[in-house]
Amino acid sequence: MGIFYRTIRMVESGIKPCYVFDGKPPTLKSGELAKRLERKKEANKKLEEAQENGDTSNVDKYSRQTVRVTKEHNDECKKLLNLMGIPYVEAPCEAEAQCAALAKAGKVYAAASEDMDTLTFSTPVLLRHMTYSEAKKVPINEIHLNKVLEGLQFSMDQFIDLCILLGCDYCESIKGIGPHRAVELIKKYKTLESIVNNLDTKKYPIPEDWRYNEARELFRNPEVLDPNGIEIKWKDPDVDGVVEFLVREKGFNEDRVRKGVEKLSKNLKAATQGRLDSFFTQVPSNANVPAKL
Amino acid sequence: MFEARLTQGALLKRLLDSVKELVTDANFDCSETGISLQAMDNSHVALVSLSLRAEGFNPYRCDRGFSLGVNLNSLNKIMKCAGNEDVITLKADDSSADSLCLLFENSSNERVSEYELKLMDIDQEHLSIPETDYDATVMMPSAEFQRICRDLMVVSESVTIDVSKDEIKFTAEGELGTGNVKLKPTSTIDKPEESITIELGQTVSLQFSLKYLSNFTRGTPLSDQVMLCLSDNMPLLVEYKMDIGYIRYYLAPKVGDE
Repeated sequence: MGIFYRTIRMVESGIKPCYVFDGKPPTLKSGELAKRLERKKEANKKLEEAQENGDTSNVDKYSRQTVRVTKEHNDECKKLLNLMGIPYVEAPCEAEAQCAALAKAGKVYAAASEDMDTLTFSTPVLLRHMTYSEAKKVPINEIHLNKVLEGLQFSMDQFIDLCILLGCDYCESIKGIGPHRAVELIKKYKTLESIVNNLDTKKYPIPEDWRYNEARELFRNPEVLDPNGIEIKWKDPDVDGVVEFLVREKGFNEDRVRKGVEKLSKNLKAATQGRLDSFFTQVPSNANVPAKL
Repeated sequence: MFEARLTQGALLKRLLDSVKELVTDANFDCSETGISLQAMDNSHVALVSLSLRAEGFNPYRCDRGFSLGVNLNSLNKIMKCAGNEDVITLKADDSSADSLCLLFENSSNERVSEYELKLMDIDQEHLSIPETDYDATVMMPSAEFQRICRDLMVVSESVTIDVSKDEIKFTAEGELGTGNVKLKPTSTIDKPEESITIELGQTVSLQFSLKYLSNFTRGTPLSDQVMLCLSDNMPLLVEYKMDIGYIRYYLAPKVGDE
């Protein structure tokens, strides 16, 4: 349960997190999910093999790949978050889409996810490597959607098409088209329809029954809860509850847990530093207006 | 051609000192009317805006507007080579400025040193700062403000500033205890630099990071008085006025729980 210490670390750095849980997967994802299941099985097999051969490095590697998030895991996480006073949202469908909707509605500053799809779901800001361990020294990656679009000179619809072309969880991609060619194609033909009509299908066979339209629709109008109806509230942590749960039930070290909760309540109360961007509007850098004298 | 000659070289040193802790790289925007600089710190919490009027220089010449992208740390190193009594002249070619020439002349004109600083291309985010009628405007001795920031840092990393008609109060609460400093308006006609005035439209109470505030007080040597402007839910403005222009700092408030 890294979630406990991870959350504390975020709160300590002045971040007020709100977790979003996945709901039911969209039907389009079934193909991808079947593949993942297959990979898990494969990994399971290899794990057994490795265990028999006593190959410890491989045991480690494959046991990581066999990790599955069960309903119990999720329920335990939710229970812990409740006790810690950290809000969470249960998405009706994809969590990334819900995160993006929350960020877009200004309920939160950014969506933190390793999944690039979050950007395709049009979150204004995406944070990656948010909870990497400090020891790894990986800086947090902050991606602004408007800068991405500006840089590519794409509209949002074109960007979605590009992401589908590059491969997403919801439909297949065209073999032999990498990032470079995909950008070129969108630049030239603007939409997936026109790409499909103009592409040399001998060189790049288009997958049979390619359901890019559905995938596109899913990105444009994902199934999410209306962010304006969601109230995100941070509460004081329930110290005894957390101790009861983590120490008595899960066997955590009581001292460490108590210290953690203490940090949590102290930092949640502390005021957070505002940013100037929310007060002053930015003028384009090329407009270079010297301040009035 | 751009050329600006400043008789009080020490002023430039102090100015640089008051900016360099906040930002590492910045553009000096030069125009016919003078030199200005605007830059935000890395975390976009504070902004510094500097303005020097052309009349403050003797002579000042700038044929067309352009920007000098400078690494402030490097500039500071070069400025250290200037004596406090030196006359400083800045020179650059405004059509293709890839370096800034700095000329330090000793007042007795016996020693002239010349340095060239390589410039850089800085992609700068420019913010437009709306004209604001602040709820409260406080003028006070800059040294007093510096001392308050330094003292309260002992207690906490943030300070709450409350301004009412007849008092400005700085309060800090921390783990070891609490502390506050209250000042009342005073006017000393014979010593205007020591007076405290409060202009109030509405009482305000805002919380700010002391780390940033004490960073701003590096501007203290530039002026005897400092002006604090506050409005509810708006960034604080801290201004040091000089004969030749001003340096303004803006700081976003800390927002507590609703």
